[in-house]
Amino acid sequence: MSAPSRQHTPNPHLGAYYGIITSAFVSLVVLLAMFEQLGWSEGAVARSMILLPLALYIVIAVGSRTVNLEDFFVSGRRVPQVYNAMVMAATAVGGVGFFAYTGAVFFIGFDALAIGLGWTCGLLLAGVLFVPFLRKAGAYTLPAFLGQRFRSREARIAASALQVAPTVLLLAAEIKLAAMVVSLFLPLSFSLAVLLVAIFVAAVCILGGMRALTWSGSAEFIAGAVGLAVPLIVVSVLLTNLPAPQFTYGEMFGSLRGAETAADMSPTTPGELAPAMPAPAPAEATKPFLQPFGAINETGFVVLFLSFALGTAALPSLLVRSGVTGSIADQRRSAAWALALVALFAITAPSLAVFAKLLMFRDMALVPTAGPPAWLAELSGRELAQMSDLNGDGTIGAGELLIGRDGVALALPMLAELPFVLTALMAAAGLAIALAAAGSHLFTLGASLADDVYGVLDRRPNALPLLMAAWAAIGAIALAVAVFLLIAEVDVLHMAATAFCFAGATFFPVLLLALWWPRCTQWGALASLATGFGVMFLALTLGGAFGIAETIAGMGGASLVAALLALGAGIGASLYGPAPSAFDTAYYEEMRKPEGDTIFDRAQARAKTASAHAAEE
Amino acid sequence: MAAEQSEPEHAVRDRHQLRTLAVAITTVAAALSAVIVTILYAVSLNRLWFLHFPLGFYLLAQGLLIFIVFVGFWYVRVQERIDHTRNLNEEVA
Repeated sequence: MSAPSRQHTPNPHLGAYYGIITSAFVSLVVLLAMFEQLGWSEGAVARSMILLPLALYIVIAVGSRTVNLEDFFVSGRRVPQVYNAMVMAATAVGGVGFFAYTGAVFFIGFDALAIGLGWTCGLLLAGVLFVPFLRKAGAYTLPAFLGQRFRSREARIAASALQVAPTVLLLAAEIKLAAMVVSLFLPLSFSLAVLLVAIFVAAVCILGGMRALTWSGSAEFIAGAVGLAVPLIVVSVLLTNLPAPQFTYGEMFGSLRGAETAADMSPTTPGELAPAMPAPAPAEATKPFLQPFGAINETGFVVLFLSFALGTAALPSLLVRSGVTGSIADQRRSAAWALALVALFAITAPSLAVFAKLLMFRDMALVPTAGPPAWLAELSGRELAQMSDLNGDGTIGAGELLIGRDGVALALPMLAELPFVLTALMAAAGLAIALAAAGSHLFTLGASLADDVYGVLDRRPNALPLLMAAWAAIGAIALAVAVFLLIAEVDVLHMAATAFCFAGATFFPVLLLALWWPRCTQWGALASLATGFGVMFLALTLGGAFGIAETIAGMGGASLVAALLALGAGIGASLYGPAPSAFDTAYYEEMRKPEGDTIFDRAQARAKTASAHAAEE
Repeated sequence: MAAEQSEPEHAVRDRHQLRTLAVAITTVAAALSAVIVTILYAVSLNRLWFLHFPLGFYLLAQGLLIFIVFVGFWYVRVQERIDHTRNLNEEVA
């Protein structure tokens, strides 16, 4: 006899709820646009545009609070596919995509496309190679899956420790970007903004774990999508007369080339730009947008693409969402929807960069006759751009205009001289996406420390101690990351690239072996984890002495080599160590079966029935 | 009797796993090879224009992404059909 499983039926009113949330957000934008015309100050508009959606996200999190383990760790396994896809897409792209990637495309144009392609292909790899099988296994975390697959505490704890590197780097990057937006648009210092953002993200995770993250994250994704689309469509209509920026920005290439030539931009060669990927500090944009392989050569482009693809496919914060939908088929479709959403973003980002670059350098060409453009004072005031006529010739060349990489998305509405409400909307959108991603990364770390470390040490069947451990871990990690950000000056794009390299090197090979090779054993898994992480770590710490991993493409190359070595180590240790146990083989076969109950849930139900029987006796 | 039953079950399972592997390899290989070939020929492709975009740029910025999404949804459809066939065959076995 087995215990009856919970019904995993989604809430039938979700569509109505999110329709209302979307309408409320759009109404807020319309209202603020009207109030701005009626004389509201920019500060009041920005405060309303940022704080009211934040209040909405926290209200949703409060409404999703839970002390049920299944709800806390896997959102009750009843999240509809598209809602899960929205949060997966927000986690994959995050504020890093919204601010730093768009900025990188602005600076190095063609060459930055490797990152967007990497994210998109990575989601395809995850959806095909990992997600459906992880859904069948149903473990709460990625390390828990490895522990259950090989019945190995060592593999579980090792994976839990090794996932800290990629996840904490991405968490720090997202919190930094969210704090940047908050400190730019609210009267708060950056330090205070970091603390407030960390508290906000931790509060959402503590209140309802994966459940709160899912429902707040869905609202944040909607706000992010609306906030990115509206200003971009308005600019597209102004420049091309068509409301489809993705397909019309090609018409602007002629004008862009003219503006770039007027600003003395000339083709660059790989190695000429140092660093190849732009840094966050205001810098000159000197590479023509369409020039291929001017900052990174073809090999570097392929390597960067592959390292982002492997890293995205094996990112623990993405794969932790593999157990939240009702079935394997739902999870597979959900991954496909997430892929579509990320691809849509990757298609959109270059249009934003092209419009921003065109508007900026077109106005720069007019400086000798018309003087500095109106937007320059606004951008300078927010430390997003600086201009100085260094050679005193009365014109402004590309080398005389310094632009902050992470502020390009925020600058677009100002460059197009749109009402301020659209700048605030863009800021609220980027903030929302950064918060959704930060929540996913923080929850992944907290859940793993609770389930994979505390849960292994304390095997009592009570839910409350495990939840309390998760709450404490989430709070402690948020505080630690906030303190780190207060001390360290970091480049979010570099941190994100490092994180994806670590994720790809450490987890891609072991997951490939665990999910696709029945002969893989716990020793193979441990060897793969240790080799992938170890080689990547050595490349980053000692590689500088040998010229390895100094550039972003070099780091990507190191991660690919580490992944290959880890794959070899996993295969070697599995073949030359003891053969897999009958349990390992049975688990593998069950995991590959498309039908039947979730393995973890069935084990839980059996344990519950056994303990009930024991209590009766 | 048990041995007679287990043999077709094994055959069904093995066929399902083989087809799953084949479709996964096809999907991943199609996406990766398309991207890598386009990167290698991007400079040459840029001499052609499509919808006001240089073709190499267009493929890396949009065309391949649309192709990858198409491949992703194609994979979902084919894999669901493969899983459905296994379930039917297992019921018959």
